[in-house]
Amino acid sequence: MNQLIYDIAVWLDDTAWSTAIHESYYLYNWIEATHVLTLMLSLGILFLIDMRMMGWALPNVPATRLAEKLNAPMLAGFVVMFITGILLFYAVPVRSAQSLWFRIKMVLLVVCAVNAYLFHKRMTQSLASWENEPKAPSALRRGAAISLAFWTVIVVCGRFIAYDWYDCDYGQTDLVRALAGCIDGQTRF
Amino acid sequence: MSDQQKETDKTLRDDTLAAVVVSGSIVTFFIVYWSFEIQSVRELLEMAYG
Amino acid sequence: MNPSSVSSRFAVLGPYPRTAVAVLLLGAALLFSFGGMRTSLYPELLSVFEWMETTWFGYVGKTWGGAFALVQGGHLVSLGVLGGSVLFSDGRLLGLFSSLPIRDVIDGAHKVFVGALIVVAATGVFMVCGVAVKVYYLPVFWYKMLTLTVGVLFAFFVRKPLLDRNIDQVNPWVVRLVAMSSVMVWFTVAATGRWIGFS
Repeated sequence: MNQLIYDIAVWLDDTAWSTAIHESYYLYNWIEATHVLTLMLSLGILFLIDMRMMGWALPNVPATRLAEKLNAPMLAGFVVMFITGILLFYAVPVRSAQSLWFRIKMVLLVVCAVNAYLFHKRMTQSLASWENEPKAPSALRRGAAISLAFWTVIVVCGRFIAYDWYDCDYGQTDLVRALAGCIDGQTRF
Repeated sequence: MSDQQKETDKTLRDDTLAAVVVSGSIVTFFIVYWSFEIQSVRELLEMAYG
Repeated sequence: MNPSSVSSRFAVLGPYPRTAVAVLLLGAALLFSFGGMRTSLYPELLSVFEWMETTWFGYVGKTWGGAFALVQGGHLVSLGVLGGSVLFSDGRLLGLFSSLPIRDVIDGAHKVFVGALIVVAATGVFMVCGVAVKVYYLPVFWYKMLTLTVGVLFAFFVRKPLLDRNIDQVNPWVVRLVAMSSVMVWFTVAATGRWIGFS
């Protein structure tokens, strides 16, 4: 599996556009800036919804109506983050694919996506019977708490990708090398 | 109109005028600042790529 | 606060005290920026920034990159929440999410904004202490500090007093102008902050 991921990353790295992005004067910085700034739209609004469900914020705003109205801008933000995230990976694919923090981030993104789907399903099933309550029912509060915690870890992992503490070339333990999928040349590309 | 109402109208006019002055300044500064930033980026890119 | 007590306290500023203070501060900021005071004050601040690096925050930030990165992650999350509260509240003022009660949105979002601002400021101070002398020499850092100051003063002394009253009393175009400038100023704070990282 790690070999497959590595081979795909090397193939991507050999493409002209990948080189063009990471050697460009400004393009990588702009993509990264867009990725980070869109946090305000996607994550900011998601956290508002989660905090409302927990009863920590906006207690007088009807909860399900809040979630419904903010869904579209939040999803638009996530689409932008997804596209810019793919481009950031594409610009430096070999290092990213062998980054422990990147892998943790991807696993948590999948967990958060599943959590979001289950949350949305439970919320629509409960049909706003608790809409004006300051706190959502406990199942939805659990989903909101998971979302808050895991998204915070995702942001921190995203920040950690830039650091080289667990880079493959720096004498890591077998466990770290296995989890990070170290094959070869993380710092060559 | 009572004195209280007149006072409220006066503070509303004051708050509104302050909002217009400051917001207008922010929008003007924003346009000027980002115009200069975009211009300097364009010049840098022209120097770098011709 | 009783409007008549406010007027009598600030009567010396004329019939429009808030506007007068705003114009004075804007004038002072322009004088400071384009006058000699800025260039003479700037070298004086170097010793302050050198001192910041010697504080406990500075020591921790410089010694343990992990601690610095962790705090930076917290800065990003709270920045996201701050931006979200600004976009939500100002979006509502611009007519989006119209089925949500405007009073509750403004009041609720403001509380979230204040909490996020406190965390952003605290994590920001920690980070600056770790790289104080470096950011002292970065123009974009000073642009961010200027925009942040304007943003905070605007949020608490212009936007909030206007929106604390019955929204129907306020000219809708003024409400939209305030909402747009709020989004602009906080976007500029975030963008200049990101650019510090690239400098």
